[in-house]
Amino acid sequence: MAIYSFYIFDRHTECIYSRTWLPPPAPPSQSSADGPHIPPPQSQTLSAKSSSDNAKLIFGTVFSLRNMVRKLGGDDDAFISFRTAQYKLHYYETASNLRLVMLTDTSTLSMRNVLHQIYINLWVEYVVKNPLSPVEHKGGEGVRNEMFEMGLDQFVRGLM
Amino acid sequence: MSHLGPGKASTSVNGKDQILPAIGGPGGGGGSSSSSGGALRYPSNGKTIYHRPLNRSKTSELSQASFAYLFSEMVSYAQRRVTGIQELEKRLNLQGHPIGLKLLDLLLIREPPRSQTRPLNIITLLHFIKINLWMHLFGRQADRLEKSSDAATPDEYMIIDNEPLVNAYISVPKEMSQLNCAAFVAGIIEGVCDGAVFPARVTAHSVGGKEEGEMWPGKTVFLVKFQPEVLEREALIGKG
Amino acid sequence: MTIFALIIINKAGGLIYHRTFHEGGLQKISTNDYLVLAGTFHGVHAITARLNPLGNHNTNRLSSSSSAGIRPDPPSGLEVLESENFRMQCFTTMTGIKFLLFSDTTQTNVDIIMRRVYEMYTDYVMKNPFYQLEMPVRCDLFDRKLLSYIREMNSR
Repeated sequence: MAIYSFYIFDRHTECIYSRTWLPPPAPPSQSSADGPHIPPPQSQTLSAKSSSDNAKLIFGTVFSLRNMVRKLGGDDDAFISFRTAQYKLHYYETASNLRLVMLTDTSTLSMRNVLHQIYINLWVEYVVKNPLSPVEHKGGEGVRNEMFEMGLDQFVRGLM
Repeated sequence: MSHLGPGKASTSVNGKDQILPAIGGPGGGGGSSSSSGGALRYPSNGKTIYHRPLNRSKTSELSQASFAYLFSEMVSYAQRRVTGIQELEKRLNLQGHPIGLKLLDLLLIREPPRSQTRPLNIITLLHFIKINLWMHLFGRQADRLEKSSDAATPDEYMIIDNEPLVNAYISVPKEMSQLNCAAFVAGIIEGVCDGAVFPARVTAHSVGGKEEGEMWPGKTVFLVKFQPEVLEREALIGKG
Repeated sequence: MTIFALIIINKAGGLIYHRTFHEGGLQKISTNDYLVLAGTFHGVHAITARLNPLGNHNTNRLSSSSSAGIRPDPPSGLEVLESENFRMQCFTTMTGIKFLLFSDTTQTNVDIIMRRVYEMYTDYVMKNPFYQLEMPVRCDLFDRKLLSYIREMNSR
């Protein structure tokens, strides 16, 4: 089971954290005659630019779907996940309107627990209880501290 | 897959067939020709070229979906620049008429020689339609044949079909609820009657109800109304 | 094991058919709300096709194997949506029509049901000479057959 990426959105609809664990693009061993290949350094900058766009798209999708599910299933219904042919997206919303989104491959089962664990063991411990981090994480400040990143990395790699 | 015979008006000439008047087709019916020096020869099992369907594939069947799409296009075509439902039904009727004319000859010649007689009265003709025509077109017989019990119209007969094949996929919109696309089949029946010199007017009427528990929601009655001269002739023959 | 509702969306994102089969599964919402929902979902579906995290990497890896003539599948949109109270399956046809089937979370054979609904659509809607493409579906036979089939499924 492969985990592709992870995003956190706060209640001001801003993306305050994003992280990907995708495998690096395989260096082409033989030069292929068909089609140009993007050399790695270029693809890094491309993905850096588009990752913020990605985050916005993900938030928009998640927001619309959440509203749709609420409308259809009643006010207490919660959107859990959706799947396409290529990936699966898991969603977890906390009582403080903090939204955790994780993209995995299609064969993964429910990640609700995992997201819940990330919230209680990593977020609450290392970000909320951190006296140096601000209350509102505008622009992501206060989230990217070492302990949180290390803990998250360990946790996710342990799952993969 | 329903059994729809190739009796539709098809003008394609099959390149393999040579119309040799004396021989019953190449390998026709597997029968050996019996010769009698100069006279017209028939194969011994009585099967002429007219007994073989044009569509000689293994199953010699047509998919119902192909027919449904073709008929759907025929209905749309008939609907163009038409002023009302009566005219639409009339056009469908006209589309079916030549088919009836040709089918009459084909079906009569395919009968076994003993019963190859012309239908001479109304009842025989209607039985021919109910059994032979329906079997050829739809693979089953028509459900009921009735004579009108109304004394004022002794010239009306009714053929009842619980589920006309041509209407299988058609849902008529509410604003056109009087339309029944089986007017096409009514045209075929009219062609058969006219070809047998029993001039008539045939119309299709839907009598299936709209309730939930209705067994046959698409039930259709084909009303055959013969011209007065047919009844006169019938009376004369009856007396004689 | 119940099917709650069926929604059909055309190529442009407009709602062309919606029918509820079981009260109490989903909230009752007005036709207008259904229209809005269909449009929203159409947009979301298009976005999810683009959110594929594997986009760049697949093309790089497969560029050497494309000499074998195998074309990678184009990214597809959302197929299954799960929530606490219901589950939604989306089937996209080759012509861009989307069938959304809402069922409860324990429904097992949604694929088969979806296939059957698609068959009924092609039979009683597409073969109807009075149906205009991309317009709302108003075919009596389709309604009838669909209702009897889903009722049978729901009562099992």
